[in-house]
Amino acid sequence: MLSSAKRKRSPRKKSGEQETSDSGAGGAADGVVRARRRRRGTAESMAAKQRDISVSEFFAKNRHLLGFDNPRKALLTTVKEAVDNSLDACEEAQIVPEVWVHIEQTGESRYRVSVQDNGPGIVKRQIPLIFGKLLYGSKFHRLRMSRGQQGIGISAAGMYGKLTTGKPVKIVSKISIRKPAHYYEIEIDTKKNIPEIHNGRGNGVDFPPGEKGHQLMRKKGIAWVSHYDADKEGVDPREVRSGTRVSIEQEGRYQRGRGSVDEYLQQTAIANPHVTLHYLDPEGNETVYSRSTKTLPDEPKEIKPHPYGVEIGHLVTMLKDTDASTLAQFLTSAFSRVSPAVSRRICEGAKLSTRGSIKKIGRDEADALYQSIQKTKISAPSTDCICPIGEDLLLRGLHRVVPGEFYVASTRPPAVYRGNPFQIEVALCYGGTSVVEKVTYEVLAELLSQSDARTLRQFLVNTFDGVGAEASDKILKKAGFGSRQSPGKLKSSDIDKLHHAMQNVNLTDSHAMQVYRYANRVPLQFQQAACAITQAVTKMNWRSYGLSQSRGALPNAPVTIMVHMASVWVPFTSESKEAVAGYPEIEKELRLGLQAVGRKLGMYLRRRQKVKQEGERRSIFLRYLGEVAQAVSSINDADSKDLYEKLLRVAERKTSEADTKLDSRGKKIEETGDFGGNVLIVDQSPEALLEKGGKEQDEGQQALF
Amino acid sequence: MAKKKVRKHAASATPGKAPKSKIPKSKLPARDKKTLGSLKGMADKVVQTANRSRAPQLDIPSRSLSNVKFNRTQKIIEMGSNKNKRELFNLSQAKAYMQTMLVGSGCKELIGEQKTLSLRGMYYRLKHTIEGTKEETFEDQSDCDPIIEDVEVSLNALREELHVYASNRGSMVGNLQLNDSGDDIDCARMGSGGYSIPSIVEPEIVKFVKSNAKFVLHVEKDTVWRRFNEDKFWKKHNCILTHGGGQPPRGVRRLLNRLHHELKLPVYCLLDNDPWGYYIYSVIKQGSINLAYESKRMAIPKARYIGLSSRDYERCGLSPSATIKLSENDIKRAKQIARYPWFEKKKPWQKEIDHMLKNGFKMEVESLISLDISYVTEEYVPARLQDRDFLD
Repeated sequence: MLSSAKRKRSPRKKSGEQETSDSGAGGAADGVVRARRRRRGTAESMAAKQRDISVSEFFAKNRHLLGFDNPRKALLTTVKEAVDNSLDACEEAQIVPEVWVHIEQTGESRYRVSVQDNGPGIVKRQIPLIFGKLLYGSKFHRLRMSRGQQGIGISAAGMYGKLTTGKPVKIVSKISIRKPAHYYEIEIDTKKNIPEIHNGRGNGVDFPPGEKGHQLMRKKGIAWVSHYDADKEGVDPREVRSGTRVSIEQEGRYQRGRGSVDEYLQQTAIANPHVTLHYLDPEGNETVYSRSTKTLPDEPKEIKPHPYGVEIGHLVTMLKDTDASTLAQFLTSAFSRVSPAVSRRICEGAKLSTRGSIKKIGRDEADALYQSIQKTKISAPSTDCICPIGEDLLLRGLHRVVPGEFYVASTRPPAVYRGNPFQIEVALCYGGTSVVEKVTYEVLAELLSQSDARTLRQFLVNTFDGVGAEASDKILKKAGFGSRQSPGKLKSSDIDKLHHAMQNVNLTDSHAMQVYRYANRVPLQFQQAACAITQAVTKMNWRSYGLSQSRGALPNAPVTIMVHMASVWVPFTSESKEAVAGYPEIEKELRLGLQAVGRKLGMYLRRRQKVKQEGERRSIFLRYLGEVAQAVSSINDADSKDLYEKLLRVAERKTSEADTKLDSRGKKIEETGDFGGNVLIVDQSPEALLEKGGKEQDEGQQALF
Repeated sequence: MAKKKVRKHAASATPGKAPKSKIPKSKLPARDKKTLGSLKGMADKVVQTANRSRAPQLDIPSRSLSNVKFNRTQKIIEMGSNKNKRELFNLSQAKAYMQTMLVGSGCKELIGEQKTLSLRGMYYRLKHTIEGTKEETFEDQSDCDPIIEDVEVSLNALREELHVYASNRGSMVGNLQLNDSGDDIDCARMGSGGYSIPSIVEPEIVKFVKSNAKFVLHVEKDTVWRRFNEDKFWKKHNCILTHGGGQPPRGVRRLLNRLHHELKLPVYCLLDNDPWGYYIYSVIKQGSINLAYESKRMAIPKARYIGLSSRDYERCGLSPSATIKLSENDIKRAKQIARYPWFEKKKPWQKEIDHMLKNGFKMEVESLISLDISYVTEEYVPARLQDRDFLD
């Protein structure tokens, strides 16, 4: 991208030179004269304007590339970048992550986003560079599974804050319980792409460790969560040993619903069951997603690039940079899965000597080498560099946040696209009440007042997950509103009507499937249609698994599906990391993963259907038995009561299958043996909910709003 | 269980069902005794199967084309021996089973009180909300009518034996005196409306007193019949004139059958030149598929088809504007009719149907009016009768 931006300017220079020589000739045809008059610049004057474009300047003008298209999304992007960085840092340092997210409103359309983690902290001299320089980071140059990739995110967020509010980024970081906490106020110099430090005469401020430092910070108005569980009674608060807190003030808009910060944190909690998230929203409500496991995911290994994943340009750069002297040395040291034997075969294919000097390799030889690599059979890269979430944790994560009755997860074995190992995981949740049914009157009223939707229908579709056009029409019909009703001017009695309708409309059939997409445990919230994951879900034939689906659309069922792609290099379609590109290998793995959960869902639905049918059968028979018994007795004066009892016994025998199924329920979790594992079935009976205790339920409820 | 009690109380509260109005079984006519016996047999079977804790079921003779046979010697359609099972413990049949039993109980009640009800009356008599649900025993009359027919066939009882009748359709006028339920009626003095043919015309109800008519002319519908009546065709030609309002109901067919057999009158049919008209003729002549079990009492194998024939377009010199284009459906139906066993072997009929298909249009009897108002009564029918130009 950078190179293309630079290229844009260079052709002009050439044409400028051309024309200057033309004008020197003079006395040409009319057309030329006219052209000469119109010219305003010369090559010289133009040359004066031609200069370097700093990366920062480029992104300041093209902020949409990084996800700062509009105020609402900007707020989310900042939270997202900060949280992703925090989680990456904690996991790399083998610390069980705890993250505090605090959003507060400071002006009409200004918010301060603060994110603190309990990670390893950042050494003093690196703080300005990490937060005040674009494209600076540890993750770009290595092939390792991590959330962030380029090192643009958090500094871009800081830059966006400065552009929209003029306020610097504030950072507090502490690397040990005994070391001081460093405090910096930084802004990025967009022209030079270097950090500018505002406080402490350009050196930042240090606060001593311990209670003294905490008091000092409080006095200066610098926020810092110093202890875990500070409010919890009966627990001795432990001090936070290390960590980093970043606060950015920026223009933004806080709005709940789809594509919101709330949704992002909820989805993050699903995919990261080892993380505890504290979230304080602008209205002062605190939501806590507690971790359901203390085990950290395995540490991903860094790998060398696989020859198949390297493009010709990259190969040339690698040849230039290498320390190796011979070709064989270069191939075996720079790539994974290249043994001396393989390197010999590659060289033979390229008609080059294995002992040939690297220095002598020119453009043509590099090309031959590249072609030869593609033809040589090289074993797939090792896949132990990928750490999937795992089926068990997927189930736990999904169950923690999404209420439902049936859960299934499947982790595919690792596969490779273009030399990059990757792994697909799919988890699915069926059933449960929809958000629409659970929203309280107060929350609904608030959502309505926040909404900028023009019609109620639009409001319903945009705000609630899984509510499509069909479902919202149903709700509006039930509430007796016209489809063009504006959401802004509703009386409280109207809101009550809407609320009532939302709770009483049966949406099971008109419920669109929910797709949660993840790349390296990060939720993807935008560009749903452009993403290979959504496309794979849509392309699947869910009808054979018992869901209703119209052609080319997501199925209609109360289903939440989460798809996780873990890879050393996730192929995004753009820098803002919103959609996964569809390589054939990825598409295939996605399909297989979806099929695996689909099969089990199909089994469950068929079984449920059967139990339901038997039950229905019986109720139909019971309904008619009375009529039959009476009609018969009115003809032949038989004892209708006696006949009814006898017929009832026959009916019971005929539908005994339904009986046994009904009796075997009543346990929290049914036996899962014949589903082949990785399945969780939650009983939906009210007794079971009581047994389970309100706690888990409350959490689920809280999690959504 | 509770429901049973409720229903019983409700029943005894209705004055019509009070036990005193019930006529003792010994005083019932013999025919009703027999019907009651078979109704009771049906109910007893349910009790027996329930006692043996088996699932009760009914065998109902199938009323479809696949279960009718054309008896070539008697030239009528007869019902075959195929039977459909109707089980109580079968999801798709449970309701129908319940309805069948309800109809049975309804008929028993009618016989016990010696009253008759129309099909619609029966529907209202039996329709109620099933206790504890929002479901009705019958959603509308079209649910009820076929069930009544089912009871007829499975008990081998006629509709009038079940004390159920359909609404009157069809009229009669002509040289005939009869007695209907004790009233003397002279069909020659019926004014412009004619004698409305009742649904039940069994000898117990309609008795022929005197007739010197020579034949019966059956026309398809009321409008044509009025033309004939106004022109006093029946007086001029000394005949009986009937119509059945399209497909003739059972009453009309039974009456035609009785006129034919008891008074030895030939029956001539004047019907539209279309598949519908052909089928009306077929029903009059050899019985219908749906009521194949009644063919013996209804069919008139010696009935004749006067017209309209496909040749009449040229023969009478009709203008193209008097014709109606055949629809897709008409063509399909015509081919279907041509394949019926009772049409298959008749060359003139095959020729007739072919001719219509070749014409590509159909003609109504009224199309003859385009030539002259009374063309059909003064020229067309007299000429056909004169030449004895009929289709068999």
